[in-house]
This record gives sequence, C-alpha cells and structure tokens, in this order.
Amino acid sequence: MTIFALIIINKAGGLIYHRTFHEGGLQKISTNDYLVLAGTFHGVHAITARLNPLGNHNTNRLSSSSSAGIRPDPPSGLEVLESENFRMQCFTTMTGIKFLLFSDTTQTNVDIIMRRVYEMYTDYVMKNPFYQLEMPVRCDLFDRKLLSYIREMNSR
Amino acid sequence: MAIYSFYIFDRHTECIYSRTWLPPPAPPSQSSADGPHIPPPQSQTLSAKSSSDNAKLIFGTVFSLRNMVRKLGGDDDAFISFRTAQYKLHYYETASNLRLVMLTDTSTLSMRNVLHQIYINLWVEYVVKNPLSPVEHKGGEGVRNEMFEMGLDQFVRGLM
Repeated sequence: MTIFALIIINKAGGLIYHRTFHEGGLQKISTNDYLVLAGTFHGVHAITARLNPLGNHNTNRLSSSSSAGIRPDPPSGLEVLESENFRMQCFTTMTGIKFLLFSDTTQTNVDIIMRRVYEMYTDYVMKNPFYQLEMPVRCDLFDRKLLSYIREMNSR
Repeated sequence: MAIYSFYIFDRHTECIYSRTWLPPPAPPSQSSADGPHIPPPQSQTLSAKSSSDNAKLIFGTVFSLRNMVRKLGGDDDAFISFRTAQYKLHYYETASNLRLVMLTDTSTLSMRNVLHQIYINLWVEYVVKNPLSPVEHKGGEGVRNEMFEMGLDQFVRGLM
C-alpha cells in the first residue's frame, strides 16, 4: 500500500501543487506536462459530471426546485479512476478546488487520507497570511507536515 | 446491478454502435443504488438528439483519460474504469484500437472481463467473421446485424 503523489488543481484548472512521495510509482514527467495534465483533467471532470445516463441535470434541477424545497445532490464529476498500475481518487471541495491522490491499486482508506490532506491544506495553506488564493502553494509547513504524514502512511 | 448503456468506437474514433438499457419512463424501482432521488427520465426527443452528442462526449472523456493514464502509468498501463457519484464507466481497448465502453451503476464491480467476452464471443463471431460485413464500419454498417444485436441484448440482460 503506497501513496504515489498528490496534485492540487484550483477552480480555474490551474495546477497549484504537485508532489511525488514514492519513486517508481508513476512515470517521471516534467512540470510542464503536469500543468497540461491538470488542465486536461479539469475539462474531463466537467464532462463526466454531465454524462449521467439516467437523465439531464438541468431539467431535473428546475422541476424539483419549483415543486418542492428539496434539492437533489449536485452532479459529481469523476471520483475514482482505476488503471492497471494505479488508482486515482479525486476530491472536489465546496469551492471547486480538486485534490488528486494517486496510490497503488491495493490502497485502502483513501477517503480518510484525503480528508487529512484537506485538513492540512486548510490549516497550513489557507491560514497562511502570505498565501494568495488561486496561486501556487509554496508553504513550507504544509510541505513538511504532508511529507511526514504520507511517509507514515507508506511505511505501515 | 444495472447496465445503462454500451458503446463501440472504431479506430477512426467514430461511434459505430450504441445501445441503451435505460429504465422505463415509469419510476424505476430497481435502481435503488443511485440514492434516494431518482431523476425523471428525459423526454424522447431530447434523448434522441443528445445520444450522438453523448457518444462524442464519452469518446472524448475516455480518450483523454487513456492518454493521461498512459502518460502517468507508463506505456503498458491501461485505463480500466472511472466512477462518479451517479454512474461508473468501464473501458476495454483491443489491440486493433477498437474501444468498448459500458456505463453501469456505481456499485458494479469491474466489467473488464464482460467487455472482453463481448469482444470475443459477439464481435469476433458475428461481425468479424461475417463475410458480408465491411472492413470499416462507416456509420455502424455491418455492426447492426441481427445476430450481434440479439446476442448482446441477451448477454447483457442475463447479467442484470
């Protein structure tokens, strides 16, 4: 059970953070390729949210909001992607920031790890007075805490 | 387990076959795994218009994700499936770049072997071995034959 990497994408589809925790898990690609990947994923995520085979979200939302006070869950985009070599979990925050966690295919409890990573993001990035929203994350404390947490997870 | 739809794309990225098994317009009872709220099925005209658009969107999605997976996981890696809160998409690509895509409910386990079975037992048997079938299936020509459609329908209904 290994966590390979973490990517954070802002709500405009820009890459604001990427870190690899395990050598040999994923192919080494350049930062430029990571930027392209983040942008591509952002678009694909938007498409997957609209592909619901059971019905159209717009008509659904209009009819239910006019008739009753209950609002259906907003359509969620891609949440888990599986391939032969890895598994990717995507977590979208209420504000549209996407956390992509890459792990090997046998990793369990990714939800809990994701939650902890998000907590660390709120604690050490959002509460950092020098951090500008939507800009690349350069917070030393976040880096250190994240690295030690993932290292602990990987060594289990 | 519920299977929503099935698509085949050829190596020219064209959708050569699509088939849906959506629940009937009356409130469906078997899709309890989708959560408490079941969206009303869209009207017939709307679905007819958007079905070819849907196929294009699905192809774009699996194409991008496949490229992403190969970039990150190496050239031997293969994209298998993805899941959202509403549905799960399964993907299988043959050596000749024929792509089979299936949309199911979220609780379904891996359907890779099912897609493989469809390829071996239905596609190869009834489309490839059909002497009247063209080499390229422009606009679905040669795929929409009775044996293939019947076999597919039986196979999928047997799974549900």
